[in-house]
Amino acid sequence: MTNTPTKKFRASVDDASFDVEVAADMIKVGDAQFVVSPRGQTLDVIPESGGGPPASAARAFVATAGDVTWVSIDGEVFTIDIEDAHHTRRPRAAAGEGLSAPMPATVIRVLAEPGREVKRGETLLLLEAMKMELPVRAPRDGKVKALHCQAGQLVQPGVPLVDLE
Amino acid sequence: MRIRRLLIANRGEIAVRIIRACREMGIETVAVHSTADAGAAFVTLADQAHAIGPPPATESYLKIPAILDVARRTQADAIHPGYGFLAENAGFAAACADAGIIFVGPPASAIERMGSKLGARDLMERAGVPVVPGARPDDQSEAGVKAAALTVDVPLLVKASAGGGGKGMRTVRDVSELDDAIGAARRESLKAFGDGTLYVERLVERPRHVEFQVIADRHGNVVHLFERECSVQRRHQKVIEETPSPALTPSLRARMGEAAVAAARAVGYENAGTIEFLLEGDGEDARFYFLEMNTRLQVEHPITEEVVGVDLVRAQLAVAGGEPLPWTQAELSQRGHAIECRVYAEDPRQQFLPQAGKLLLYREPYGPGIRVDGGVQQGDDVSVHYDPLLAKLVTRGETRDAAIDRAIAALKQFAILGLRSNVAFLIRVLQHPRFRAGDIDTGFLDAELPSLIAPSPAQEVDAQTRLRAAVAAAAWRTAQPRTRANATASGDEAATVATLPDPWETLEGWRG
Repeated sequence: MTNTPTKKFRASVDDASFDVEVAADMIKVGDAQFVVSPRGQTLDVIPESGGGPPASAARAFVATAGDVTWVSIDGEVFTIDIEDAHHTRRPRAAAGEGLSAPMPATVIRVLAEPGREVKRGETLLLLEAMKMELPVRAPRDGKVKALHCQAGQLVQPGVPLVDLE
Repeated sequence: MRIRRLLIANRGEIAVRIIRACREMGIETVAVHSTADAGAAFVTLADQAHAIGPPPATESYLKIPAILDVARRTQADAIHPGYGFLAENAGFAAACADAGIIFVGPPASAIERMGSKLGARDLMERAGVPVVPGARPDDQSEAGVKAAALTVDVPLLVKASAGGGGKGMRTVRDVSELDDAIGAARRESLKAFGDGTLYVERLVERPRHVEFQVIADRHGNVVHLFERECSVQRRHQKVIEETPSPALTPSLRARMGEAAVAAARAVGYENAGTIEFLLEGDGEDARFYFLEMNTRLQVEHPITEEVVGVDLVRAQLAVAGGEPLPWTQAELSQRGHAIECRVYAEDPRQQFLPQAGKLLLYREPYGPGIRVDGGVQQGDDVSVHYDPLLAKLVTRGETRDAAIDRAIAALKQFAILGLRSNVAFLIRVLQHPRFRAGDIDTGFLDAELPSLIAPSPAQEVDAQTRLRAAVAAAAWRTAQPRTRANATASGDEAATVATLPDPWETLEGWRG
């Protein structure tokens, strides 16, 4: 146990971030400590009670897709970004990647043009689908490289609408 | 004429449901599907499957000629329309009849009759079925509609005859608001439906939505299979249904059941249908009013099956094949309690925005008294082309409390990863003191929504622990050496696939 290397991570979920340390089956999340052990296709996560009455285990289902780890405990679902403390995470939208509509939608307004510098969170396009207005925002700071749509156009999911450098 | 081969003109969980009943009855099944559903569970389960078009429903599941073409080529005796899509399309029912194919449902004339709100109302009034007090003015001038409105007690609703989905409707609480309301309702109705015909109904405050299941054969027999309480709704979309209704006494139930049967007879109904009532008050003094009739099998039919002990799809197929109903009214009774929770691919924290994505992990709960009617499997790509219903979780218990406890426990076991669902939201609704007490009406969800989206202050400590436990689990997984066994056991996405930015991450809220 004493010779087990400790792996350090930075985790963010919703608005919260934590420093995480993993030493074999002992996990430290901020100030909280847990013991994690696999059980079948789930993970048992037991909070360390620090001398008090033993806490009950949470049963976690876990699956990952790229950089995001999905966890379900008692029906609550969390999407967690885990960053290795030693390497920077691959940015969410790699250079040259296009932003696309999540569902068939109509472009109501184009708010950015090629060459424009944009900030993370800035709205680039306004889409309309299923009677809702859907802003497409810049996932990071960058420059608009190209636009592939115009106002009034019906667009399909997955097709790049705007490229960010 | 016994049905030997059935075409299912639908998809997802209801197609699976119908195919299951067919397998038990020795009926061959033909599935039709869009290209998006080529790998779906219902396509795999059917004896044969035929692609009928690209993903959009208008080009596939709603394409009558394509569906009838498959029916002819496969020599299907009958078509089951499920719910939604073409289930209440009188033209489709008529086209089936013309093609000599049995339509598992009522005659086209009944569908048409019940499709007009005003027409249905008139028919029910004449049949002696109570309707919401109101007035339908022949004089459609502003003065004429106003005069009619003044004969109805406030609060009232000015409604568009051609209306639907809440459009062309205005609430009036004081007669001084009438002129504005009539003008606005008319303008909206003309714009949305091209028809400005208005009528007036008393507004039933805090109503319960209680519906009765009916089924009629071709030999003149009509029975009801008791009620379903469907008041837990959001924007007219049902979320949780249960039976029996906590608001009904045996005598009220008997009276409503009789009215439901009378309604079905009045329209010359055949096969399965549902009469929707608005219930005002509860217990012996409650008043019920006909709202509308759904001329199809409903999403929530499983709770009736669980409590009455019948198979409604099987009964539908028997009736469609010309057989008499398998039970008399006297032979039907309710036992125990059943609750259905609709599991939707929606994010309650983003105004219930429909979700799309790959089901990285999908594990249904199971155990005594737990039934899941689902249509998706792990690895499926859930799209937004269709209704976001993933599955129906139906729990049965000896008592209402037992059924609720079971539903909560089952939901906690329902693991859905890869896209957001309303599972946690459903748990909070079931845990809400008003739900436990049976103190619900159609305004319940809207009234309590803020507290249902997020954990309550009392639940906050547990929520924080759970959040950290989830992080611990994620970190443990990340720290493990990546082996094939790890990846496949939990349904992980292949590392190379997810390099495209998730478009859903670029969405931050929306404005309705």
